Amino acid sequence: MIQLRRALGGPVGAILLAFFLAACAMLVAGVSPLDGFSALFVGSLGGRQQIAETLVQTTALLFPALGISLAFRAGLFNIGAEGQLLIGALACGAVGAHFAAPTPLAIFVLLACGFVGGGIWGGIAGWLRAQFNANEIISTLMLNFVAISLATYLVSGPLKSPAAVGAETAPLPAASWLPLLIPDTRLSIGLIIAILAAFVLRWLFTRTVFGYELRASGEAPDAARRNGVNMPRTTLLALTLSGAIAGLGGATIVTGVLHRFNTQLSPGYGYTAIAVALVGDLNPLWVCLAAFGFGILEAGGLAMQALADVPKDAIHVIEGLIILVLAARRYIATRAEAAPI
Amino acid sequence: MSSAAGIAIATLVTLTLVKSTPIIYAALGGVISERAGIVNIGLEGMMAGGAFTAVVFSGITGSPIAGLLAGIAAGALLGFVLGFAATVFKVDQIVAGTGINLVALGGAAYALTLLYNQPGASPQVNALGPNYWILVALAFVCALALHAVLYFTPWGLRVRACGENPRAVHDAGLHPLRLRLYAVILSGALAGLGGAFLSIGEVNIYSDGMTAGRGFIALAAVIFGRWTPWGATGAAVFFGFFEALQYVLQGRIGWLPSDAMQAVPYIAALVAIAGLVGKVRAPAADGIPY
Repeated sequence: MIQLRRALGGPVGAILLAFFLAACAMLVAGVSPLDGFSALFVGSLGGRQQIAETLVQTTALLFPALGISLAFRAGLFNIGAEGQLLIGALACGAVGAHFAAPTPLAIFVLLACGFVGGGIWGGIAGWLRAQFNANEIISTLMLNFVAISLATYLVSGPLKSPAAVGAETAPLPAASWLPLLIPDTRLSIGLIIAILAAFVLRWLFTRTVFGYELRASGEAPDAARRNGVNMPRTTLLALTLSGAIAGLGGATIVTGVLHRFNTQLSPGYGYTAIAVALVGDLNPLWVCLAAFGFGILEAGGLAMQALADVPKDAIHVIEGLIILVLAARRYIATRAEAAPI
Repeated sequence: MSSAAGIAIATLVTLTLVKSTPIIYAALGGVISERAGIVNIGLEGMMAGGAFTAVVFSGITGSPIAGLLAGIAAGALLGFVLGFAATVFKVDQIVAGTGINLVALGGAAYALTLLYNQPGASPQVNALGPNYWILVALAFVCALALHAVLYFTPWGLRVRACGENPRAVHDAGLHPLRLRLYAVILSGALAGLGGAFLSIGEVNIYSDGMTAGRGFIALAAVIFGRWTPWGATGAAVFFGFFEALQYVLQGRIGWLPSDAMQAVPYIAALVAIAGLVGKVRAPAADGIPY
């Protein structure tokens, strides 16, 4: 039983399982897996446009997945990346609609807005946990709902573009757009920023005192505390930074892809990113690879729905089952240090 | 008191009871599971699974009672999955619960498209109608029953012991893993019932995202209620009140933006779990695989 658990418990087992389950989902929908998979892969890797779209999805998943990895490594179960990403995007879109500056400065300011916005949203959960021992699982999820209410209210009221029909902000001036990585596609240099962020995170984990304290407080909280790690400070910083990275991701969607903010900008990237982070074993570089894999699923899923008539939501079932399998590994430190749940 | 204010208060009381009911069921599910030592993050998914299955079976059979029972069964099945993973495979319960949530919410959306070919919401089915009041009352009966079981039966004592010290339960010649598994199945069944109330009690359809975080609000109610059936029920009514308040105020105070008002129940839950600094103690073995 233990061998079975080890073999299936790893990311490799999870990926194999994903393919098997995808085939099942196709069979249930009355589609031959051959047709389904060919639609999935043609739709995600079949040409320049398709590959670009897969990488757009990869970028959108990579930022929140990196943020989640950071929090998990610190033993904090941040399931609020969705809200943090949304608030980051909102901050970026709200400022961007009224901000004109030369390209490099404008982009820098707008990405900083996303970083700070997401950081504040993650920081609220961090503060509640550090100060009041309020469990971050509940608080981050509650904050997702608060974020969507806040964003909906703001873009249908105070921040609504007078020119827009739907609830969205005014478009960003072209000078604030992220340069495209592949011309005539939606792929911006946001992908490069995301990969850079992964390397920075890896450096943070492995080469800095803060990263060490962060991992220590996740893996051995008792030992960390006894050796003088300031646990409340680490908690606050970890959740703030985790949210900030997700928020940065939201900002790259606004400046790089949509060029404005609307509340439909994330089809649940923050939730899918939990699976991405776990499949990537919370290791920033493997998370990049996992994000690409899930990018294929996200981009190909739409093609699969259009071409092969398999509902796209099958992908969320597959993600959930992968997470269930990966739960056989231990992520969160012993109960004694956790907030009550 | 003007009659308008009287009507508003009557509406508020009625709505509070109705909005509390699904949260009470899920919170009672959370209590039994956590008292047995298993953290059930999957309550949200179990509610969604129950809500969706109830609609499907009510649609097929034409009987909302059949739908209700199917909803309970669906929740129990998801509870079994979590319980089996947590006892046999000794998985990280929080990660597994998150997986359950994605499976159930995604599965409902997937099946919605497959079965009805209309994403987003199901067609209308036969609902409980005015009889849904029986379920509102039953929620409080369940709280009473769970209290009686947990504190006045040998089984309840054993379940509570599993949450504090499963080793001692084992040494007494009992099966802590089996007890935990039963507790989580029961937890899922209660959450499924709460979900079914949402879909075929309050309304007559299933729509994507209709659970809207209530499973997590229920978890907050468990903490706020100190892991006791009555405490959790009281906390659920507290959160239900804020949800009801939001509806009542929306119609009546024009300048309050309704989108922003929707955040009120979630903020109430946030404040509730933050306001308990140093005052609560979870079951000692809660969340620790045995």
